[in-house]
Amino acid sequence: MDSITAFLSNIVENTDAKPSEGSGPSAKPGSVPRAQSLSSHDFPLMPVGQACDMGHAPDGTPLIDSRIFNSFEFFRNPYPYYRIMRDHYPVFFDKLHNCYYVTRYDDITTCYFDDEGFNTIPKGSSSGVLGNTQLELSGVEHRRRRNLYGQHLVGKSLDNRLHAIEAIGEEMIADWGNLDESIVQDRNGVRTVAIGKAFANEFPIRVVCDVLGFPKESRKKFFYWYNSMMSGLGGSETHHQGLEARQDLEDYVGTLVEERRAHPTYLYDAAGDPIGKDIISKLCETQIDGDYLSTEEITSNIALVVGGGGETTRGAILNMWYLLLQHPRQLDAVLADPETMWDVAFHETLRHSTPIGGQPRHNSFDIELHGVKIPAGSLVNMVDFSANHDDRIFKDPETFNIFRPDLYSGKLLRSGYRKEGKCSHMAFGVGPHLCPGAWISHQEAVIGSKILQRHLKNPRLNVDKMPKDFDGSLLPIGLISAREVWIDYDLN
Amino acid sequence: MSTEAKQAAKPPAYGAGAPDKDAFTGRNGVPLYTRNGNQNDYRTYEVYQRERVKEATDKIRPIQLISPEFIRNPYPVLEILRENYPFYRDWLGNSFWVTRYDDVTSIFTDDANFETRPKRWFYDIEDLGRDLGQEVALLTAQATRIDANVERIAREIVGGFKAGGGTDLAIEFAARLPLELLACVLDLPKDDFPKFVDRYWRMQRGAMWEPKSRQAGLGAVQELVEYFRPLLAARRANPGDDLISAVAMLDTDGAPATAEDLVITLLEQDHETLHGALANMWFQLLTHPEQLDLVKRERRMVKFAWLETLRHSAPVLTANRFARHEVERFGRLIPIGALLHCSAAAANRDPRQYKDPDRFIVGRKDLCQREPRGQYRADGLPAGVAFGLGKPSKHPAVPEDRPRSLYAITRDTATTASNVLLDVVPEVRLKPGATPALRSLRLGEMHTCWNLPVVF
Repeated sequence: MDSITAFLSNIVENTDAKPSEGSGPSAKPGSVPRAQSLSSHDFPLMPVGQACDMGHAPDGTPLIDSRIFNSFEFFRNPYPYYRIMRDHYPVFFDKLHNCYYVTRYDDITTCYFDDEGFNTIPKGSSSGVLGNTQLELSGVEHRRRRNLYGQHLVGKSLDNRLHAIEAIGEEMIADWGNLDESIVQDRNGVRTVAIGKAFANEFPIRVVCDVLGFPKESRKKFFYWYNSMMSGLGGSETHHQGLEARQDLEDYVGTLVEERRAHPTYLYDAAGDPIGKDIISKLCETQIDGDYLSTEEITSNIALVVGGGGETTRGAILNMWYLLLQHPRQLDAVLADPETMWDVAFHETLRHSTPIGGQPRHNSFDIELHGVKIPAGSLVNMVDFSANHDDRIFKDPETFNIFRPDLYSGKLLRSGYRKEGKCSHMAFGVGPHLCPGAWISHQEAVIGSKILQRHLKNPRLNVDKMPKDFDGSLLPIGLISAREVWIDYDLN
Repeated sequence: MSTEAKQAAKPPAYGAGAPDKDAFTGRNGVPLYTRNGNQNDYRTYEVYQRERVKEATDKIRPIQLISPEFIRNPYPVLEILRENYPFYRDWLGNSFWVTRYDDVTSIFTDDANFETRPKRWFYDIEDLGRDLGQEVALLTAQATRIDANVERIAREIVGGFKAGGGTDLAIEFAARLPLELLACVLDLPKDDFPKFVDRYWRMQRGAMWEPKSRQAGLGAVQELVEYFRPLLAARRANPGDDLISAVAMLDTDGAPATAEDLVITLLEQDHETLHGALANMWFQLLTHPEQLDLVKRERRMVKFAWLETLRHSAPVLTANRFARHEVERFGRLIPIGALLHCSAAAANRDPRQYKDPDRFIVGRKDLCQREPRGQYRADGLPAGVAFGLGKPSKHPAVPEDRPRSLYAITRDTATTASNVLLDVVPEVRLKPGATPALRSLRLGEMHTCWNLPVVF
């Protein structure tokens, strides 16, 4: 065999798609296990917090293989890769996916404030399920639409509705005795409950339904539509279901709108006095440029409010309990002082395990950032995950620590907060597109947790029922929030 | 036109019809959106998509487009796309897939709206040198040396094959021939050949997003520049009829061509078609013995076998195009800078164009039996979309001062070499028990046969 043959044969050996049909990667005893995924390139599963080796440049700089973003390894353990990007590629151009990633806290803040330079006009950012919303507008157009319902989600109107949130939570827990074996199990005075299915999945939706003014009897339907729409967002195999649900919702809202135009409904405070129309009744009488909102627009607003307020808050509640139950000392501190510490724990949870990874933007002009030229119109991903784990801002960012001194956990500000060594986290973003549901989401998570605390005596994690990592430890919270948290507590 | 009429035609500075001073423009001066929120300028893909509930893409998961199965055999997934979602939005890959013949060729010929990004763009070395590939002197040198030497080289390679023996046709014939030919075109010293092959392959394979290969490729580019620098100087002093001499003697507006230019020119060459399609053609012939018999009986059919291979099993599966600006196509708004995968593999098996498209039929009646030149439907028949996957030549007929197209040269090379093989070992057949298959070594790389064991 001459050298050319040897060289070519060597190339053929080192390949992603092995010629043997059908056989997946096999784990030899003692070897690093590999994920059984469909990705074109399997990356080894690493201990949480460590990046696998994707090669090095001649000067020693670690390299980023774009295929990692599709891998299971990245899905469960994204933070070490974001650290490489922050330290070595503050603006990373992913040529496989034709997009840019911005990963440092300071850069992301700057871009979020620059509403004109980084616009939110969709270039296929969602898939038609939510519809045409103000998420995709800029400047005054955006502000005007956002203000239509924003006032219901903040300040005095929200304070006046806290009793309703509380009532919804109590109502759900009172129902636990009637739930299925697969959700609630009682044994020897110990109750095991899946707080996702039993509480967190539906609680935020019910709250949002209430603020919207959705009739109670259509809640079940609404919950189905919501789930279908959420799973249809990615435009994959459930896309059709999402679009259909959206269509059904729109048909339903159409008749509702007719009704509410004739007979608006109101929200009431704890004393039973009306404090104003609910969101749907408000939207029905709203005019923009002299025109009433169309059913399509109202549906889009409803979809956005629910879409924004459901999955995220659910994730926050589950992540918060999952993390606290793994850190008993911190849980004790929270349970001892619920009035202040649940707020603090909420913010640290959102920093440590952010429910929404980031936001897409498109730059309006040709720009250069950290030496990388970004042509106008490019997709630029602002990675909130990474900003919240930026050790230029938060010391020892991978550690969950509700006592950390460098996290601001006061009232959320559109301008963000960065004073006296304290910084706000990026889970809600900053600037003009700051999450309008941030305050209500905060209240739901905290009130919900306080209610849970009242009912769960001596809560502890049911480790047997929780999903495990490859080495038998608890599965880390990776790119998406904890799916379910099983809790044991004493009934007496 | 009178002065008054001219003034009237000028847009007013204020009021209705005045130009929007706040309009933002992107590349090429195309407005992106207007700051005052003018509804006429504001269209969303979402509104568009929602009217098309039936077009939801339930039949495929985007991860299938990067799965190992897809790398081995992309045709089943591509068929789903072509028959259900002809312009598929790949959310995972942030790109679009074009899969029907008419759609793919319409993108290829639409240079005004869609651009190709050269391999040097992947390396971020666009300033390193010029691509001289279209210089007539270079094309001539290449054509002359290939025509003069292809038969000799093919005989040298095949001369090692002995009746009663066996070999791996994919490596020893299909992969080796283009490399030997390239060394001959460059007239490299014999001892440098192995080292050159190593660098050349590293350079070609690195022009992707795979970071390790990219680093290795960048190193290879530097090594090749250093290697060619003295060679170029020597040929400048003492020119021959090879490609390096042609580069050295090139008359380009006062700036003589450099070693960097030569390396960039080599990088941008389409090196895969000859290797990949030669291997695929022999794979198809050996696994379809009746077709091989046909070709043996009538040697003019070798050319048709080559063309049918490029249709049925094109080595380069997709060509990427980027939208130069926001443009509406196939009922969708394509954003500026969007990545389009134009799938030749899917287009070449489009049943709208070819009867029984999955069958390998040498000399099929519904395939144009010459290369696309200026159009994709010469003689009223569709041509296979494979030749470097570019748009057709700017020259519908071959001009006097230019050599034949690279497509034709590649075809002649392949047929000559295959004829030599058939002359020397007419009894070539698949090694008993061998089950060769086509596959890519890596996502996005050429789809070809890498192991083709034969006996004579």
